[in-house]
Amino acid sequence: MKTPQAPAITNSPVAASTAAPAISVQNVTVTYENRPALRSVTFDVQRGELIGIIGPNGAGKSTLLKAVLGLTDLDGGAVRFFGESIERCRQRVAYVPQTSAVDWDFPVTVLDVVQMGRYGRLGWFGRPGREDRQQAIESLELVGMSAYTKRHIRQLSGGQQQRVFLARALCQQADILLLDEPFAGVDAATEHAIFELIRKLTDEHRTLLVVNHDLGVLEKFDSLLMLNQRVIACGPTRDIATEENLRRTYGGRLSLLDRAELALQNQESPQ
Amino acid sequence: MMTTLGQLDFVPSMWSAPFTDGHLWMGMVTSILVGATCGVLGCFVVLRRMALIGDALSHAVLPGVVIAFLVTQNTGIVGLLFGALLAGLTTAVLINLVSHNSRTKEDSAIGIVFTALFALGLVLISNLPRGTHFDLKCFVFGIPEAVGMPDLWLMAVIAAIVLITVVLFYHPMKLISFDPVVAAAMGLPVMAFHYLLMGMISATVVAGLKTTGVVLVVAMVITPASAAYQLCNRFSTMLLLGGIFGALSAALGMIGAYVVNAPSGPSMVLVATTIFALAMLGSPRHGVVFRSIRRWRHRRHIETEDVLKTIHHLDRSDQPTDVAAISSQSRVTMARAKAILRELRQHKLIEGGASTLNLTEAGQRRALEMVRSHRLWESYLADQANMPPDQVHDVAEKLEHAHELADEVDRELGHPSLDPHGEEIPRG
Ligand SMILES: Nc1ncnc2c1ncn2[C@@H]1O[C@H](COP(=O)(O)OP(=O)(O)OP(=O)(O)O)[C@@H](O)[C@H]1O
Ligand SMILES: [Mg+2]
Repeated sequence: MKTPQAPAITNSPVAASTAAPAISVQNVTVTYENRPALRSVTFDVQRGELIGIIGPNGAGKSTLLKAVLGLTDLDGGAVRFFGESIERCRQRVAYVPQTSAVDWDFPVTVLDVVQMGRYGRLGWFGRPGREDRQQAIESLELVGMSAYTKRHIRQLSGGQQQRVFLARALCQQADILLLDEPFAGVDAATEHAIFELIRKLTDEHRTLLVVNHDLGVLEKFDSLLMLNQRVIACGPTRDIATEENLRRTYGGRLSLLDRAELALQNQESPQ
Repeated sequence: MMTTLGQLDFVPSMWSAPFTDGHLWMGMVTSILVGATCGVLGCFVVLRRMALIGDALSHAVLPGVVIAFLVTQNTGIVGLLFGALLAGLTTAVLINLVSHNSRTKEDSAIGIVFTALFALGLVLISNLPRGTHFDLKCFVFGIPEAVGMPDLWLMAVIAAIVLITVVLFYHPMKLISFDPVVAAAMGLPVMAFHYLLMGMISATVVAGLKTTGVVLVVAMVITPASAAYQLCNRFSTMLLLGGIFGALSAALGMIGAYVVNAPSGPSMVLVATTIFALAMLGSPRHGVVFRSIRRWRHRRHIETEDVLKTIHHLDRSDQPTDVAAISSQSRVTMARAKAILRELRQHKLIEGGASTLNLTEAGQRRALEMVRSHRLWESYLADQANMPPDQVHDVAEKLEHAHELADEVDRELGHPSLDPHGEEIPRG
């Protein structure tokens, strides 16, 4: 993972699209009601890379994923997938949100939910066929939920629900997966199994961006993005997982620059 | 339309009038179409927790209808439809604007917007040119006897459009309703779908105005769909049931209104509510009825197994196997014991006369299974759960009915041959 200066190999569009990083985030800034959540975030993720995003609560991790997906408005900056805009790559990107605001009484079975991962590629009038069904069943097997295929989603535990959503993302067979705390509420054995699954995905040159709270598993990631509104550190895990960087990320001590900005903001719109 | 309606007044005897002239079937068919369409659309409304939106749209179409009336200077159905669509979409857009650009929560935003539009409509009515008469009562309560051929056609077209849309876009609509965030991430047009839904509801509401009026049309949107929601585990079933319940409410409501000489809108709503209440009672998962049936069956099953075991024990100890002994030993009433024995005989688990009951071979096997399960569980409780041996019996009395686990218990305990009381455990 190389940050700002991506190697400028050539300008030819073909070469650009094959050589372009899987995800390229340039100077992304997001503010909510005048309060910045992300400040000028820049990083690249290469194909087949497994990158972990860490940072304290409210650091803007979920916001970053939403911004990358174009689900929140950017106040500046740009995001590219394989050198193209998100709108042209939606099918190739799967997303598992941190908390699903779904109605657990919604009349769907586990298999229905997982099959929804295929809807992006079905097009407008498409109906899921046998192949889609097969894919959904396989994805459920991968997360160890094949015994629950016919269950209604209401009858699942929190961790199982999380695994079903993961299966839906897998079912999408996307090249890029954005997972927002996929291990929240998942037991240790399953977490281990899912990490193995993720390994297999990166072996297939799929790219994963995983928000994670558990500092105990940092070494499982190829590289890390330490975030606290801005990028504190970004690079290969063995290089940047240092005491100093973690302290700067989680320390909560604002830099003078941040404090100045905050002071100016308070003058502008006192709370 | 409104001018002719203006002549009809709210005299109770009027309600049965249309049924004597030839108009009955038009009101009936239109109402059924309205009911079915509302029932299907209502599923989306209910699932997306937008119940208030139904209320909002039905009221907010008023200014649209009045403006259309003013602009076209007639009561043509097409003008009214466009007025309603415009008003409906304006409502949806305004609600969005208010809730996204201020701290106002969505439900408050809905309340603010639709009451404002309704008020605007009222002001517009009072400023209509002299000579025109806009019957507000008709708008609010509906007058199905005024339903004519154009209304029927309009509703038929709307129903067809809704049906085709739902069938064609079934899958994307399902995902958007279930998980709008992920749907948006996959590139599905979540907002476009929202406005499409708003448009279809506005159109249905305005077409259904004459049959139920704005106040009650909300019930047709929410109640049948909510009844369907209680009953099914599949989205397609819910849509189908919602439509059927809606149509049924309309049809039965119209007939009921005729029979008891009551206004048809309210009686449709009452039928819908009755269906909802029945669905609540009868729902397989939450329903009171199903739950008690399940519990009753389970208890019955356990008692049957207890009786089998009792016969086995009585037989072993050479005591008479009559109904009285069985009833007292397995702690069931005489009547119950008799019923259970009858059932056992039917299943060929017992044979012989009243006081000389015998287990058949199959019955013997079942009884031994119970004994084995009981003693294994006793051993398990004593060994693995560290329970004193004098207490294990009562708990095992319950656990023994989980005999499908007996083999596993057996394995876990290393195939014991005696239970904590020193009794032999039959081999499985
Ligand atoms: N919809 C919103 N409106 C206003 N502010 C928001 C909104 N969503 C998030 N925020 C604010 O933006 C900041 C970043 O939020 P975000 O959800 O991205 O944090 P996070 O790093 O994912 O935290 P966590 O570890 O708790 O998941 C927080 O201070 C939060 O209060
Ligand atoms: Mg988060």
